[in-house]
Amino acid sequence: MRIFEDIHIDWLGKRKIFYAISLSLFLIGWINVFVRGLHFGIDFKGGTEIVLQFDKPVNVSYIRQYIDNIGLGFVELKTFGGETGVLVRTESQYIPKNIFPKVVDNISAEIEKYYPGIPKKISDTTLSSVTYTFANADTTDQIVNRLLAKGYQAGKVSEELTNTQMVVRVGIADWIKENLRTKMPDNQFQIIKEDHVGPKVGNELKTNALIAIAISLIGILIYLAFRFKFIFAVGAVVALFHDVLITIGLYAALYGVIPGLNLEIDLTVVAAFLTLIGYSVADTVIVFDRVRENLKIHKTMPLEELINQSVNRTMSRTILTAGTVLLAIFVLLIFGGEVLRAFSFTLFFGTITGTYSSIFIASALVLEYANRFQKKVNF
Amino acid sequence: MKEYRFRLILILSAIALSLYLLYPTYVDHQNQMMINKILVQKEKEFKLQNPQISANTLDDKLKAVEDSIKNSDPSFNKMKLKSIKLGLDLQGGMRVVLEVNTGKLLEKLAKNPDDVFKKVMKSSEKQAALSEESVVNIVAKNFAARGIRLSRYFGNIRQSDNEIISDLKKDADDAITRAMEIIRNRVDQYGVSEPSIQRQGNSRIIVELPGVAREEEAKQLLQGTALLEFKLVKDPQLTISVMKKIDDVLAGTYASDTSKADSSSKSINKVANQNKVAASDTNKKMTPEEFASKHPFFSIAMIDPKGSTADAYVKADDRAKLQLMLNRPDVQSVIPDNMQFVFSAKPIANQNGQPIYMLYCVEKNALLTGGVITNAVATISPETSAPIVDMEMNSDGAADWARITGANIGKRIAIILDGVVYSAPVVQNKIAGGRSQISGSGNLEEAQLLAIVLKAGALPAPVDIIEERTVGPSLGQDSINSGFTSTLIGFLVVSLFMIVYYQRAGLVAAVSLVFTILFIFGILAGFNATLTLPGIAGIILTIGMAVDANVLIYERIREEMATGKTLKASVDSGFSKAYSAIIDSNITTFITGIILYQFGTGPVQGFALTLMIGIGASLFSALVISRLVISYMVAKGIKFSIG
Repeated sequence: MRIFEDIHIDWLGKRKIFYAISLSLFLIGWINVFVRGLHFGIDFKGGTEIVLQFDKPVNVSYIRQYIDNIGLGFVELKTFGGETGVLVRTESQYIPKNIFPKVVDNISAEIEKYYPGIPKKISDTTLSSVTYTFANADTTDQIVNRLLAKGYQAGKVSEELTNTQMVVRVGIADWIKENLRTKMPDNQFQIIKEDHVGPKVGNELKTNALIAIAISLIGILIYLAFRFKFIFAVGAVVALFHDVLITIGLYAALYGVIPGLNLEIDLTVVAAFLTLIGYSVADTVIVFDRVRENLKIHKTMPLEELINQSVNRTMSRTILTAGTVLLAIFVLLIFGGEVLRAFSFTLFFGTITGTYSSIFIASALVLEYANRFQKKVNF
Repeated sequence: MKEYRFRLILILSAIALSLYLLYPTYVDHQNQMMINKILVQKEKEFKLQNPQISANTLDDKLKAVEDSIKNSDPSFNKMKLKSIKLGLDLQGGMRVVLEVNTGKLLEKLAKNPDDVFKKVMKSSEKQAALSEESVVNIVAKNFAARGIRLSRYFGNIRQSDNEIISDLKKDADDAITRAMEIIRNRVDQYGVSEPSIQRQGNSRIIVELPGVAREEEAKQLLQGTALLEFKLVKDPQLTISVMKKIDDVLAGTYASDTSKADSSSKSINKVANQNKVAASDTNKKMTPEEFASKHPFFSIAMIDPKGSTADAYVKADDRAKLQLMLNRPDVQSVIPDNMQFVFSAKPIANQNGQPIYMLYCVEKNALLTGGVITNAVATISPETSAPIVDMEMNSDGAADWARITGANIGKRIAIILDGVVYSAPVVQNKIAGGRSQISGSGNLEEAQLLAIVLKAGALPAPVDIIEERTVGPSLGQDSINSGFTSTLIGFLVVSLFMIVYYQRAGLVAAVSLVFTILFIFGILAGFNATLTLPGIAGIILTIGMAVDANVLIYERIREEMATGKTLKASVDSGFSKAYSAIIDSNITTFITGIILYQFGTGPVQGFALTLMIGIGASLFSALVISRLVISYMVAKGIKFSIG
């Protein structure tokens, strides 16, 4: 079986059309980026995300009525995996000030339930904890154990035998879990995933991701400049920018459009982008490799014709290599499960734009450069 | 045939090596299946015995069963260590990033903190939450802005602000070391298998706990406070007599139990062998088996017959088993109420390099707790040039300490943090004034560890969880299943495509793909690498990319054939001309792999690793295996088609 055998198409003559296609794809995407914004996962924004697996199927809107009035402001709810999984996410780091007293009241009520009338004093509160002081060490121990068994994060302030203080940590996740447990007693749940990222960490991860992408681009630029002429390296890296920017635009444009596809930028998506950078340049290299070879053989052929011939000659293998990778990624997209969906999506569309840009954009840029500066590109 | 010999040997040894490296993973998987089977059966039994059993008790009981099976045969552990590890996202578990709360620490260190101090601290904490700068610097700046000298709250009046800042920074640094030691100690005791505790940057600790199911409990473990106690080590004669009683109790029931103990007799065997010296005083003519069955306790907890102490030596492998023995109600009944057996915190290595724990017998009630310690520093003694630890106590503690040491001269006092012994020095004389010197540490590192431990009682290191990721075991299992389904389908789809498109040459590519996958797993096992879900995605991606090299070569061969060359000449020039494109395109992907590995964390690193290994393996398969097979087929005139 053969495809694209012996084709003679003047691709470079039509390069204006491809520029137009790329530009419009880019504009569609980036208008969406500016209008609708990019959606970052909690890896970069910070926040809390929990995935609950209920015993019986649940409806997201049914859970929303319990979540909306617990005072956390905007809480995102989504189905996760099958119909028993629910993802709950909030950007808040700490329990809001106005409902903190309510949370403390709940803890006090819990203590009151087991030890009615016990003298207690709240000796300290922070953004995420409350400290109680009791009359003697023994009751402190008992209350700590009681609350621990009830699922509170209670602990002694010190392990000294004379310790009378108890600290209870209250986080967003604890508050959500507590509310759902008491309000939906007939349908209990297990936590199958819980992520909490502090604001500082989120910022650092963002910086690291950007540095990693920048270093990859520079690394590739240096390697290709070393192996090919510098202008080829520039052409390849510009094509890479093209791929990454269009895929990011696609993210903004398709966010929330396809049901079940959660297009948020998180750490694995950044990993996908980096892989994309590494892999999409591979196709470009195949074309350039042929251009390099032909430049040595046909010393007098005009550059435009030579590049056209190289593109035509390598067309079938470019399509085939991208095709096998796309096959594998498609399998991953379908069977890889919820966690890897955004990752596979990035690679899938990134590989398509990557192949397109290798064929139509990267070599065209080399030609533009040669035409503009009237330079002869040779090896 | 001769021209192929070297390459054939190379390929066969690569395959053999991969299989050899993967063997432990296979055995470990079989072991785990066997253990799971037993556990399911035991769970049923426990539920039948006590239908109202609580989930927690059931968990504990099953864990005990699991531990005893795993400890019964040392090869289980050996295989586990050599097999491919699963990342937290696949086996379930917790990853927690802790940050030492320097603000809280400063509050603890401050002398006479007033309202102004509290106000400054509050605002500093808010700034620090979003800043990269160290908390000490922020606090210092805020005090400077108000025109307050740091010496008002910290250090002494003669010190300049800069001196105090550097002291406080050292204190903050100490706090992290302390927090790490406390956490490590607890995690060790909690019995998490293969925990990882690492320091990151200036003030962070990354803790990874695979397979932790009880999230609340684990968080408590990481954030809770530490208890330092001083307990009197019991008199050796008394200890030995209690140990003998325990031994008798165990032997009495153990003797009728030998059939059940069969599976574990192998390890006891070895112990008893090495224990011959220890056993010689009582049983000269006994075989090791006899000794083990007659003295189940002494065969595990070995006493040096010539030693002056009753500290028992316990091999690390036997520790869990011994703990189970000691927890038995019949054994507990012969241990006097005021006595308690405690292990040493760290193992020491014996002559064979095996880790050995010490078992101490101490008085249950603590003489003193660590809250009274104000400072502890490890130094080199000017007189003996041996490492020592200087310990200071506050006035309350000093008074008690003088009385305690005075009453126990010549006896030993164990220093216990969270239930394990770090040192058990002998009291030389009555110590008044609260300044003590602890000698006997083997080296300066040991002394430093002891100093950290001593401080842990007085100055807790408050830590906050700043990042936390938990994956439940069920989600992990789902991920493993979907990962392997995708790998299999991905392989089938890509192979099928190659065979349809390139016919027999495609079949060669499909076969080398099998080897590529084998090599990837083999190398992962060889590096003791961790497989994560993105790692599996990396393998699937590699499957798609691995045949790229074949495509490039085959297309080139077709091209060469179109120019009228013979099949053999086309194959040769096809391979050699495709080289440069193959190498260049793979190296760029490899570059991003390296960068991903550097900047990524956990799961993403797993992806980068499989991607890089995959590139290496696929190059070998395409350029060596495929080439050999195709050249051989062409040379032998076997019908070879390239579609």
